[in-house]
Amino acid sequence: MVSAPQARTIPASPDLERMRADRVARLRATMREQGVDALILLGNTNVVYATGAIWPLSDVSRISFERPVAVVLADDELPHLFSPFRADERLRAGLPDSHYHGPAHLDFDEGVELFLERLSEVLPGPTIAIDEWTHALRRAGRTFSDGGRIVNSAKALKTPDELACMREGLRITETAMREVQQMLAPGVRQTDLTATFLRTIFEAGADANILDPIWQVMPSTMADGPWTTTGGIACPLLTTPRELQRGDVMWVDAGISYEGFHTDFGRTWIVGNEPSAQQREQFDKWRSIMDSVLSVTRAGAMASDLTAAAIAANGGEKPWMPHFYLGHGLGIDAAEHPFVGSDIGEVFDAQLELQAGMVLVLEPIVWEDGAGGYRSEEILLITEDGWEPMTDYSYEPF
Amino acid sequence: MSPSHDHEVQPDSASLRVARRERVVAAMQEAGIEILVIGSEPNARYVSGVPRLWINGSHPFGPGCVFVRDTQDVHLVLTWDEGVPEEIQHEHLHGITFNGANSLKMLQGVAGAATARRVATDGLMGGTPKSMTKAFPQAELADGEQLLLQVRSTKLPEEVEAIRASIGIAERALEAAADAVKAGITERQLTGAFMHAMATQGITTPTTQDIAWITSPTARWSRSSRDVAVRSTDLVALGGGLMAGGYIGELGRTVCVDGVATVAPDLLQRWDELWDRLIAACKPGASGADLFGAYTSAGIELPPMPVAHGLGLGNDLPLVTPELPRTSADQRLEAGQVLALTGYVWQEGVGAIYAQEPVLITDAGPEILSAHPFREAADR
Repeated sequence: MVSAPQARTIPASPDLERMRADRVARLRATMREQGVDALILLGNTNVVYATGAIWPLSDVSRISFERPVAVVLADDELPHLFSPFRADERLRAGLPDSHYHGPAHLDFDEGVELFLERLSEVLPGPTIAIDEWTHALRRAGRTFSDGGRIVNSAKALKTPDELACMREGLRITETAMREVQQMLAPGVRQTDLTATFLRTIFEAGADANILDPIWQVMPSTMADGPWTTTGGIACPLLTTPRELQRGDVMWVDAGISYEGFHTDFGRTWIVGNEPSAQQREQFDKWRSIMDSVLSVTRAGAMASDLTAAAIAANGGEKPWMPHFYLGHGLGIDAAEHPFVGSDIGEVFDAQLELQAGMVLVLEPIVWEDGAGGYRSEEILLITEDGWEPMTDYSYEPF
Repeated sequence: MSPSHDHEVQPDSASLRVARRERVVAAMQEAGIEILVIGSEPNARYVSGVPRLWINGSHPFGPGCVFVRDTQDVHLVLTWDEGVPEEIQHEHLHGITFNGANSLKMLQGVAGAATARRVATDGLMGGTPKSMTKAFPQAELADGEQLLLQVRSTKLPEEVEAIRASIGIAERALEAAADAVKAGITERQLTGAFMHAMATQGITTPTTQDIAWITSPTARWSRSSRDVAVRSTDLVALGGGLMAGGYIGELGRTVCVDGVATVAPDLLQRWDELWDRLIAACKPGASGADLFGAYTSAGIELPPMPVAHGLGLGNDLPLVTPELPRTSADQRLEAGQVLALTGYVWQEGVGAIYAQEPVLITDAGPEILSAHPFREAADR
């Protein structure tokens, strides 16, 4: 693992040049340790991490023909970027012409040939790691070691500049959510909420939306929802033009990208009504579960300490959806390492140590079959002696 | 209270599901592939007909759907049965997992896993060959990526109608963005206008989120910043796409506050000449080189983006791009393909005119699927 960043205050605005240099330095440190001469990255967010290149991520269906590729070299402080997009300053990310190239089409044999030719001009040695393969790369007969792990270990710990970017992304997300929350009323369609959310995030500075926003109206009993493989709650279900009704209990989940970082948002809202006494009790219980988890959350705590606190506060039952987790990391990806309470299992949780500089999203739920439930998310920065909230969005109407 | 059942999430139509799977089965037979392990969302949709949650950006390969040729079993990683058609039984639905061991268990439980001789994946990670050997001990690993790209390339009539419907929605959203173009507005705000108009039509899944672009009079393939204000003489490119019913509707236009024909009459004339040649080249049997020829014979430099790519559940073949000259020349246009065809002309000191139209290739000639093609717009 890379060492934890120095405890510095989160700056009001990030120094992007310093942020990019810090990242390449981390990647190259790990590459040196592992004897890797070149690191090729195809995954969108890995490319963002390695180069600082910002472009509005596009849909997965376009990926095969339109995918930027990054190359980090052991003997060069600057990464190379192969891009299919029109250039602007944020895509170029300070790269000189020598390091900025046209697209690499690694899904095609010809594209692989052309790319490997160009690569051979700059390769400092024979050992190459890569995060994702293609069949065309496999046909080319080259061998690569696992490069995904190099990025994963680097990106989990956020620098102050990265935290400043995340704060701004979360601010944009919450600006849009305030607009959406104000329009909640019977007769409004779920997709109208999305329309307002999308327009507002772009106007407020988002680079892209990353998840079809969830405005799921929850049933009061699970039997009224779809069948599930786990016997648990079906969530998140897809947004449609259905009209909201008074009293609908809505679980909200959304996220955007800003400066390469993904954000998250989770709340429970009620359409047109104040919460009932029972709904307030659910919220209070959720608060007490969250407080129990937060009371053990700090650098050095194990993921299993968090899950144990959550289970104890919920009378011995896991207060999270079995197909997800109690919590997940947030950063360059919307759900990244560390995963807390996932199906990777209890042994994994017992060995997973939280570190200062990780950003964690905790998302416990409360469910009373027959009376519905409550779900919200809390986004935290892990610090040496505890945690700091990354946002302060209200829990209204609770 | 229980949620109302209007607007339930539905699978793709039974006829579409059946016809698409027949094509996949035929291609698998020809390639001797018994089991297909699918990671990409468009491929999973093609085989399963099930809409799943839209998440933007690329994802590392992992088994999200499995198709067995001989039984036509579809296994799907989906924790619930909303939008799942009757032929996909509950025991073939598998909860979301973060644990490779659980993915392996799913693969090992597929009918014929132990004896399959040839298994294809549509993506690869470093560890994929090893985990496929664990799941399918007798099988060699084949390329399912090219196989499915080939299958998806030509469209069934029902697919063409689905694409036409998506294009209609995209066109209306793009018109809303075009209507919003005025001096002082930014690219970012125009993207917001497109997204808003898309979602109010009930569609919340864009394929691109970079809708507007003030073309540069000084550089052929760059832009300034998403926050720069539009001036009345700027040529503003608008290109937008969305996914409805699983299929992409995507197109591009160029607008100008003072009018494209007023600000850049010569460039517009060149674009018209180029477009006529491009459309004339859209015949079954033509190659990518013929599309390049439309540019060169009009005396226009090849564009910095693909001249054409297929439209379907995602980007489809053919891919005709100057970056891959050999691949482009080797591909032939076929009846039933829907091309996203791009006309792009740039002039120093002026900027660019860019338009992209969805073009259906038929034996009777090309059919433009947009309701108001750029070539015919009176108010350009």
